[in-house]
Amino acid sequence: MPLVKVPRAKLGEKLKRFFLADMFKGMWLTLKFNLGALTSRDSVRGFGIYTEQYPSVRPQVAPRFHGAPRLNMDPETHESLCIACNLCALACPEDCIDVIAMDIEMTVGGKPRKKKVLDEFIFDTSRCMFCALCQEACPTACLELTQEFELATYSRAGFVWNREMLEQGRESRKFEA
Amino acid sequence: MFALFAPPNFLNDLLLKVCDQQEVVNHVVWPFIQIGAVITLVAVWALYASYLERKISAFMQARLGPMRVGKWGLLQPIADAVKLLTKEDLIPEKADPYIFRYAPYISVAATFITFSVIPFAPNWGVITDVNIGLLFVLSISSVGVLALILAGWSSNSKYALLGGLRSSAQMVSYEVAMGLSLIGALMFARTLSLSGITLAQAADSVWFILYQPLAFVIFLISGIAENNRAPFDLPEAESELVAGFHTEYSGMRWSLFFMAEYAAMVVVAAVATTLFLGGWYLPGVYRLAGYFDSHNLYVFLSLVVFVVKMALLLYLYFWLRWTFPRYRYDQLMDLGWKWMIPASLLNIVWTGLTIFTLQALDGWGGLDTLEPRSAGEPLLALGLNLTGQGKGVAITLGFAGLLVAALFLARLNRHSRDFNLKKQRRQIRLVDVPKGAPAVATTAATAVAGEG
Repeated sequence: MPLVKVPRAKLGEKLKRFFLADMFKGMWLTLKFNLGALTSRDSVRGFGIYTEQYPSVRPQVAPRFHGAPRLNMDPETHESLCIACNLCALACPEDCIDVIAMDIEMTVGGKPRKKKVLDEFIFDTSRCMFCALCQEACPTACLELTQEFELATYSRAGFVWNREMLEQGRESRKFEA
Repeated sequence: MFALFAPPNFLNDLLLKVCDQQEVVNHVVWPFIQIGAVITLVAVWALYASYLERKISAFMQARLGPMRVGKWGLLQPIADAVKLLTKEDLIPEKADPYIFRYAPYISVAATFITFSVIPFAPNWGVITDVNIGLLFVLSISSVGVLALILAGWSSNSKYALLGGLRSSAQMVSYEVAMGLSLIGALMFARTLSLSGITLAQAADSVWFILYQPLAFVIFLISGIAENNRAPFDLPEAESELVAGFHTEYSGMRWSLFFMAEYAAMVVVAAVATTLFLGGWYLPGVYRLAGYFDSHNLYVFLSLVVFVVKMALLLYLYFWLRWTFPRYRYDQLMDLGWKWMIPASLLNIVWTGLTIFTLQALDGWGGLDTLEPRSAGEPLLALGLNLTGQGKGVAITLGFAGLLVAALFLARLNRHSRDFNLKKQRRQIRLVDVPKGAPAVATTAATAVAGEG
């Protein structure tokens, strides 16, 4: 008495085996991909080339992708939009933001006043998890996580971005297409 | 025994200015030019075959393949060649240094020599027309096995030795099927000269694949197995044997094996083209060249036809490689001995019956299968000389042979599928287990105690 029940092949299955249907199916699949790669580059339908030529052709990232941080400037006056309110540093769950403010003396309406302005902004991208809570906390739409994703550096210290890097963007080598 | 050919007339005039003796031109200068051209082209092919392989595999897997060196990565093979040439030529300490060094040369030489008899085109497109051409190809290409065994043996490495053993077993078992499958086509061609086989097909204006579809399939499969290509690439199965017989090789010696493999692919494709796909013959080419009244154009067009047919077969090689997974070793032997060899034997019998039927049907019931011959002429002196009706009968019987062989093999191997599974499982009987009850694992201790 067999302990394992082996199903008996039906006639259709037997015919399929006899005429090597699965073999030809597999060959048709690879041929379809090969012809698809030569004729159309439509990878969405599944017959074309899926690979991107990365350094020369930039990949399209998703709209909600969070990448490198940036401090936005006023487009007219080119002054930082940051008011040094420290909300981003408080919002950060990883504690990777340091806002260093300073008071400057200025006269408003003939009276001497003190104003808090941004001195230095330290952003540790090695600890950042790109949750963008800082971006949401920012009252002036100054801090923003951009779509830039090339964050690798040669040293650990390179992951700590200062104000200049955050405002100007980090220097990175661009490959020509 | 063998014939050499004169160069095309414009080149002949040029060469005569240098040598001023027609025999020297025909027998020395022109063959050397041909040999040089063939060796160069095959070497370039071996380079670019790696590129093609990478590109085709990439396309089949929705990738791009090499794209960086040159436009579309076209200079990649040259970069590879430079890398291989500058690599260190390592010889393992315990290896047999002489055999280890010369095995790649044997491998390359054995494949390159076979090109001398392959008819790439009529007239000046042939290097030499040997009257035992096909036998020559088979015997020389089986010397290639020797190189693999020597390489595997002399490396003094487990993996290389296992790869060499596997390749020898594989090649020996598939060579039988390969040789037997050719006999059917030879019964129609009635000559072993490769040019003669092509001419026989041109004279009948039919390709032998129509008479011999079964032999073509067997030849292709055995040819792929003979070349150690996937899905039969057991000798160099990466996941089991590192790299098989060339595990210990590096640099240029390794690439010589590689080159031999790709050249051997061309040899098998060329023989398959010559025997089954009509060689350089394509209906209409002769007439087309006749319009221009140029014999050289005819030869050149025939050469193009031959190369195109070969290219299609070589594409099939790549296509199969990137579609099918590798066979297990027992499956490989199974396919060789239980499927290919019986099928090729059946093909011989079936071809004999076909030819007998053709002769028996001639003149019966108004059928007219053979061309009328003069009174004293023997029956099969100049090939079969089939008429249109005869060709129809031969082609029908050829394709019927495909079905007959499939039925025959299915019947012959009806139990080979349940070799490891169904039959063995049915024979499992557990001791002292009532019917339908679940099996309980018994340890060795309790078994011994039970016996006591």
